Amino acid sequence: MRLEQIAIENFRQYHGRQRVKFARDTQRNVTVIHGINGAGKTSFFLALNWCLYGKSVDDIKVIDNVGELMSKEAVKQAQPNEEVRTVVDVAFSHNGGRYSVRRELRGVKQVDGTVRLTGPDTFEMMLTHSDGRAKPVSNPIGTMNAILAANAREYFLFDGEKIDTFAKPESASQVKQAVYSVLKIERLERAQRHLDGLASDYRKQLKQISGGELRNLVERQEAAQKARESAEKRKSEKAQEIESANRKIDEIEERLRSSQNARSLQQRRDELQRDLEQRRQDLEDLVNRVATLASTAHSLFAKPAIDRALEVLDEKRKRGEIPSGIREQFVKDLLEQMTCICGRPVTDGSPEHSRLLSLLQTRLAGSTEDDILNTNALLRTFTFSSADRTQEIEAALRRRASLIDAIKEVDAALDDVGRQLKDSPLEEISKLEQKREEYQEDINDAMMDIGGLSNQIEERTRELRQLEKDIAHANKELNQQRLLATKAELAQRAADAIADMRSIYADNMRQQLEMKTREIFKQLIWKGSHFQDVQLSPEFHLEVIDRYGLSAKPELSAGERQVLSLSFIAAMSEISKGDRTAENDDEMPLVIDTPFGRLSSHHRNAITTHLPDLADQLVLFVTDEELREDAYENLKPRIGAEYRLEFERLTSCTIIQEV
Amino acid sequence: MIALEQPRKERVLIDESVAEIYRELRADANSQPEQSPFATNKDIFMMAACLGYRSGRKQVLPSGKKLDIRESVFLESDLAILKAIAIADTGDVAVLSHPSEILRIAEEYAHAGIYDIRSYLLDEVGRPLWNLVQLISLR
Repeated sequence: MRLEQIAIENFRQYHGRQRVKFARDTQRNVTVIHGINGAGKTSFFLALNWCLYGKSVDDIKVIDNVGELMSKEAVKQAQPNEEVRTVVDVAFSHNGGRYSVRRELRGVKQVDGTVRLTGPDTFEMMLTHSDGRAKPVSNPIGTMNAILAANAREYFLFDGEKIDTFAKPESASQVKQAVYSVLKIERLERAQRHLDGLASDYRKQLKQISGGELRNLVERQEAAQKARESAEKRKSEKAQEIESANRKIDEIEERLRSSQNARSLQQRRDELQRDLEQRRQDLEDLVNRVATLASTAHSLFAKPAIDRALEVLDEKRKRGEIPSGIREQFVKDLLEQMTCICGRPVTDGSPEHSRLLSLLQTRLAGSTEDDILNTNALLRTFTFSSADRTQEIEAALRRRASLIDAIKEVDAALDDVGRQLKDSPLEEISKLEQKREEYQEDINDAMMDIGGLSNQIEERTRELRQLEKDIAHANKELNQQRLLATKAELAQRAADAIADMRSIYADNMRQQLEMKTREIFKQLIWKGSHFQDVQLSPEFHLEVIDRYGLSAKPELSAGERQVLSLSFIAAMSEISKGDRTAENDDEMPLVIDTPFGRLSSHHRNAITTHLPDLADQLVLFVTDEELREDAYENLKPRIGAEYRLEFERLTSCTIIQEV
Repeated sequence: MIALEQPRKERVLIDESVAEIYRELRADANSQPEQSPFATNKDIFMMAACLGYRSGRKQVLPSGKKLDIRESVFLESDLAILKAIAIADTGDVAVLSHPSEILRIAEEYAHAGIYDIRSYLLDEVGRPLWNLVQLISLR
């Protein structure tokens, strides 16, 4: 960044618009602005700061008392309700581009003489491209901050009397902050913090996803599958048992049938069994019939709805809104033929004619009308059909009761046959019947088992269906988990790598800074022989070591502290040139308010001799006392622009005059 | 058959929250008619809609997953009853020009009525078919 010019308009004691062009020549790179105390050096310095950064940037305060920025003289000269504006324009070049920035504050003079601001200040930035066209920059504040960060600003634009900060014993944190912000190490720190946060977020999300469930689910799936297979196998075994028992029973019954003494009883049993089978079939058919009748009997419960709907339809019909059965086409036909249904002619304008016309007009849309008529007709049939259905169900229930009774009787008769055979005096018959009974019991047991097994199979099938869904879900989560773990690891590794790079880079910078500060300090300080060394410790303590090898910082004079600070700043400016990035060109101005106030003539001479070489561009706000004799002579060959601030007692305004 | 006019909403919706009641009552290959007396979801829906209207309760379907029944499985007489419910509900025959409105009203009554079916058929002692028969005889 190289300053080109500044225009100050109605800023504090600067009334009207006044301009200063800064020295930019590499040989004559010093701009000196003279002014006695109170002439307006500090206001000028503030105007530059305010223009670039406003009253504060990112909570870093640039100036206090915004309300007092407006020129009192400008306010005084304005009429009530007239607008007053304060403007500072700064032009500078940076990275080959030419920038103009403007900060403006507007207000309206009130009747009581005060000014009411019309809003906060505005900031605009224009960039002139190499082809000479100027275009507004869309993000001026961000761009300004990228050119010279607000927190690094104070190391390039500063008050000379206040810059001994770096040299004070407790200054390590300020030194560190300066190094970090000027050399942009902060950015690495921010990137590291961001990635650290990201990694921790991912880890948190990872914890929220329930882990390890999938294996458990798969185990359950395997178990359920095995259980179902085993139940199916047992079920088919039981079915075979039943089949084989039935064959045995058939054989026994065949033998009973062929035995003379048992034949009639077995024949009776055959009959009863056929009867029982038939009745059971009848009962099953009946139950199915009842189910069909009952499950489709909703119309029986529709009576309230049907009754109400018919009421609505009847009302409509009474009001003539539904032509009962008269179709639109029929009315149209009558009108076309102009003949009544009784054969009499219908004449234009007759009461019959108008009645036919009104029927047409009040009709509903054709299809809806059909629908209403059909619905109406259909609903009226329900009363009859529901009575039928109730009767049918009741009849079925009665038949069911009698069937159940009949089945009971046949059952009892079968029992009786069995008992008679078992009690047979012939041992063979009795044994056969006993065997038959045992087989029958086996069948009953197996039937029970099959029922239980069928239930188990059904349950397992349901469980498997659910597990399949759960496993698909868990698989999805597992994939998410893997992805999150990869992201967390990646973010953490990147954060760690950046942390390593940052610490190596910061230490490298610190060592370079230490060397450079030492070199500059030795050039500037007259007691070169007394101070042996300057050190910048890894903890960023800036130390001056005396000839005894001890820290000399506690005994440094105010002037010496200022020189040390200045050396440090100049060193930073030098080092940052090496840190060339797209946003960082190779030069930065040093703008110093009251640079030599506290310095002895020795220091002053040393600084005026060396400082123009240490900075690319130097702007100094000085009092005549600060810069006289040798000091001025030292600087003179390097001065490219020189101004004097004249404070006019009559108007309390400052006029900038080129020297 | 009374055709519903266009635009036609071709499906009747049943909320997933009551789907289990439908599943329990609808017959399948393994079930017995005494336990699951209904042959189709349509019959359960019709019964639910009629019971819902009879008890004067309807309920807007919650948002979320739905089962559906194709409108084509409804008989002419079923549709006539759904129309009667819609006319009775709105007190106006004009609803007949809005087929999708007829189905929406039926869905809301059915969504309330299905809970009646559950309490009469499934929550009572006895098998659902005989509970249903009793419900019919006591109506």
